[in-house]
Amino acid sequence: MWNDILINILEDGLFAAIAAIGFSSISNTPRRAYLTCGLIAAAGHTIRYVLTTPEFGIMRIIPASALASFAIGVLAVLFAVRIKCPAEVCFFPALLPMIPGMYAYRTIEALLSCLYHTQEDAFEHYFYLLAYNGLTCSFIILSLVVGATVPVFLFKKLSFTATR
Amino acid sequence: MTCNKALDESVLRETAAFLSEYASLLSGCGATCIRIEKNTRRLADAFRVGFDISIMPTHVYVSVWDDNPAEAVVTVRKTIACGISFNLNAKLSRLSWEVSDNSLGLAAATERFEQIRKTKSTGKWETLFLTSLANASFCRLFGGDEIAMLIVFISTLAGYRLKQIMLEDKRDIRLTFLCASFFSAALSAGGHIFNIGSTPEIALGTSVLYLIPGVPYINSVSDLIYRHYLCCISRFLDSIVLTVCLSAGLCAGRYALTWIKMVLA
Repeated sequence: MWNDILINILEDGLFAAIAAIGFSSISNTPRRAYLTCGLIAAAGHTIRYVLTTPEFGIMRIIPASALASFAIGVLAVLFAVRIKCPAEVCFFPALLPMIPGMYAYRTIEALLSCLYHTQEDAFEHYFYLLAYNGLTCSFIILSLVVGATVPVFLFKKLSFTATR
Repeated sequence: MTCNKALDESVLRETAAFLSEYASLLSGCGATCIRIEKNTRRLADAFRVGFDISIMPTHVYVSVWDDNPAEAVVTVRKTIACGISFNLNAKLSRLSWEVSDNSLGLAAATERFEQIRKTKSTGKWETLFLTSLANASFCRLFGGDEIAMLIVFISTLAGYRLKQIMLEDKRDIRLTFLCASFFSAALSAGGHIFNIGSTPEIALGTSVLYLIPGVPYINSVSDLIYRHYLCCISRFLDSIVLTVCLSAGLCAGRYALTWIKMVLA
């Protein structure tokens, strides 16, 4: 069982790193920051994976995302100094693999189903799905963004002298 | 005396023009308001001039003075639409420190600024491949199987290429997002509708995620924390509009494929 969990954690970190490096290219990130972005993304995603895995913790996805993104923010501020880039260069690509894409998709799917079904029972069911997925998605995004931005605010001096 | 004052004014005007140009490029490449403010102030301090800045969603106002703020020179620049570039952001931030630490003059700073302005974007084929690979990895993170990953890779490749072509043709960004999302969703909906692979729904849901405007969302929160409310609301609304466009494209793509399946049946 532990072998499977370890493999899952490694796999999770690897794909999060690939996703972060890929998405960082969209924002014209300097090439020297690719590896750092990948490592920070892998660390952040692994933290969230571990916190939400029943074997390790029973944390819900929203607080787990907030903690993981806070860790990403702290790592980004620390590593930004090493690669001489602003902290947001590191944490933005690292946050992307944690975006709740499936919740967003299910929200839109539920919205369309609400519009399509006129029967009260069916409508209520899809409206419940719309509210559940929409709220979860919104709060995960909010926790990700606030969690990663707070370290930049807390370590202001370090954050704004990274490119010195 | 009059001659010296005229000279001072021309230097002030050049300084103000440089600072506003710097701030507008930094704003255009996706820097947060606090970074624009701090970097530009650092430059102004290095040039030993009084300085104030007002950052609006599409413009920057810079005022520069010598001794008396009442005689300030004010310049306004439209935000330079160069697209999000962390590379430019990093280089411009470094320039402000170089000027501050090495006491570079206005001429040297302007020369370096012009070099930075010529910075090329990441190669389009490199971005296309890496983005497709990233979205396929994203699909895996959501629990997609190998077939779903392949579908997402292909649909992202096609959709992102369409986005690049439309942006090169200077098409409206909202229309671009709508079309790219429709194209990617229609391609990946094939897997969902014809039941290819074991996780076609994940492929469909993931196929448009490369379009999510993450940088403006994150920057809007930073602007909120530092009380730049106008820019915060503007960036947030911009992101919402683009998210609505990509959602509409996703729905349209999915329904178009469903309709085709019904017609064929």
